[in-house]
Amino acid sequence: MKKGISLKTILQIRNLHKSYDKGKVHVKALRGVSLDVAEGEFVSIVGRSGCGKSTLLNVIGGLDGPSSGAVIVRNRDLSKMKRSELADHRRTTVGMVFQSFNLIPSRSALDNVTLPLAFADVPRKDRRPKASRILVQMGLKSRLHHVPSELSGGEAQRVAVARALVNDPVILLADEPTGNLDSRTAAEILDLLLNLNRERGLTVLMVSHDEGSARRVSHRMVKLLDGKIAKEVRLRRLA
Amino acid sequence: MNMDEMTRMAFENLWKTKLRTGLTVLGVVIGIGALVSMVSFGTGMQKNITEAFLQNDVFTSMQVLPGKINLEEAMRGNPQALLQQAKKDSVALDHAALQKIRAIPEVEIAFPEIRFPVKVRFQDREATTNLRALPAVMGKFKPLSNLAAGAFYLNDSQKVAILSPRLLRDLKIRLIDPANPKKTTIEDTLKGFRSVRADSLMGKDIELITSVLDLGKVMRNPMAVAGQAGASGLPFSDKSTHFRVAGIAKQASGFEHGFLESGLILPMKAAESLPRFNFSSVWDILNRKPDSGAYSSLYVRVKKMEHLAPVKKRIEDMGFGVVSIADQLEDFKKGFLIFDTLLGAVGTIALIVAALGIINTMVMSILERTREIGIMKAVGGGETDIRGIFFVEAGVIGFVGGVFGLGLGWLVTRIANAIANIYVAKEGGTPMDFFYIPLWLILGAMAFSVCVSLLAGLYPAVRASRVNPVEALRHD
Repeated sequence: MKKGISLKTILQIRNLHKSYDKGKVHVKALRGVSLDVAEGEFVSIVGRSGCGKSTLLNVIGGLDGPSSGAVIVRNRDLSKMKRSELADHRRTTVGMVFQSFNLIPSRSALDNVTLPLAFADVPRKDRRPKASRILVQMGLKSRLHHVPSELSGGEAQRVAVARALVNDPVILLADEPTGNLDSRTAAEILDLLLNLNRERGLTVLMVSHDEGSARRVSHRMVKLLDGKIAKEVRLRRLA
Repeated sequence: MNMDEMTRMAFENLWKTKLRTGLTVLGVVIGIGALVSMVSFGTGMQKNITEAFLQNDVFTSMQVLPGKINLEEAMRGNPQALLQQAKKDSVALDHAALQKIRAIPEVEIAFPEIRFPVKVRFQDREATTNLRALPAVMGKFKPLSNLAAGAFYLNDSQKVAILSPRLLRDLKIRLIDPANPKKTTIEDTLKGFRSVRADSLMGKDIELITSVLDLGKVMRNPMAVAGQAGASGLPFSDKSTHFRVAGIAKQASGFEHGFLESGLILPMKAAESLPRFNFSSVWDILNRKPDSGAYSSLYVRVKKMEHLAPVKKRIEDMGFGVVSIADQLEDFKKGFLIFDTLLGAVGTIALIVAALGIINTMVMSILERTREIGIMKAVGGGETDIRGIFFVEAGVIGFVGGVFGLGLGWLVTRIANAIANIYVAKEGGTPMDFFYIPLWLILGAMAFSVCVSLLAGLYPAVRASRVNPVEALRHD
């Protein structure tokens, strides 16, 4: 069912800096990024390798902390959260999809999708039905009990999307979700994300190095260069 | 994440690395097996001794001696102190004293102790043994209430005897066990043993030969008595008295009570009437005043175990010395605690080595599963969840190791017991259980195994929970 899309800001990033040491090199990955994302918006972050796209997504996802600045999701500043609160943020507020799928190899598609439900303390009897339902919606009815090595790239990424959505997050963070896929499968995954945004009103932040794909699915495209926003392009208006 | 999910994940993860998990668990199995078998040896010995005490009712009996005694001083290697003390404080342990003791309400029975050596001739065989006189009433109490054959006498004047298995062994007579009748072996025949059924000995004649002072011999040849060695020169002569076999005592455990140490038990009056020297023990020589009619020692039995201490005190207050094995029980317990601790310490060393194995296995597991930890964190796993998963894994290793370790411990004790009993049987003893695994040892070993494993899992679990998710997701 299509939900009404509001213009309420769901994510505010203010003067975000992130630096870290990589061996002996001090890397300044983000240098004062500020960005607002509205509820139901599909925003693509593009740029060359090493420009800070994935770092930005990791900070929004609560996997990494900011060096300075604020990341406010639904009026809560991630920079002020404790580690347990960040885990809660990852569990309930955001869902993450990665380029390399990041499925647990020894667990079946169904067990991979039930894992976030177990962390969210969903009763055991409800976990499998809920995970099965969402996998069936992703067109994976016949692959529920297959382990990742028995799935194609597209199927594995759809399992990853199902896992990201199973706890009903408000923001879907996708880090190069089509990076490991052939063009046809990549298009299918992009259509899936677009569908989730349009049909469910799910806010999507997608990191991509492919501007063409980003233009096709996004409301807005943000271009990063050396850790700063170089350009923002409004592609279509939010209804 | 709740415990059942953590446990499921722990089993799944351990199952994935079966060989490594198996070897780690084996370390715990050996540790717990060593611990259980060693401690069970200590508890087994303690149980055997305590049960032997209980079976023989030593917790209700005591020996009363004339004068206070200082056993501690004697144990320190100074018997002179014991004797001097005994003489100095000596109070007459005579009939009046016996009556006073009998008048104590908690006293069940009290009688003078009579023990002396005799030569026994039975079915053409001879042996020397110790005789003990007991009143017929003692037949009511363990271990004399339940004989291997026959029945305890009912009258103190009967000319009957109760034989102990020890005396029969000395007479080279082997009793046939009705439950397991074995034929006489070649070894038995070579050693001159004869196998008989206990029942067949009942009512048979037994001749007791005692020595008496022969004043006629002294008068006839005083010089020979004073200056010559050799039996012919001694002023003794043998007297023979005939009794009937009324019963045969059961084979006592390895911890025989005083009654069964004596080869022969006779009714009180019948024993008193035997011709013999006018003293029955070294105490007589030390303490007895020739014309006082005093006893060398008394046997006193109280009605209940808890009466022992107050009755003992009352008798000591009368000026007599009291010896009871129950006094030694606390010392026994302390001794066994030290013994068990030493045995347990050896087992614990094995378990500590196993704990190092657990740490090693789990640290390796973290290195292998770094990416998986990153994934779990990315999908909402908190530090508590990750820590819990690894902690439960360690607990599962400890639990499984504990269960199989108990099994191994049991198996080792059974094998060791069987081997030990082969030697016991060869020495003519009664087979017994040298090991005992009480419930507290089972539960304690399990708890110890799980606790040590959890302790070993603590560092790996904390380390896993602190893994940086971004770096972990990049990990190959």
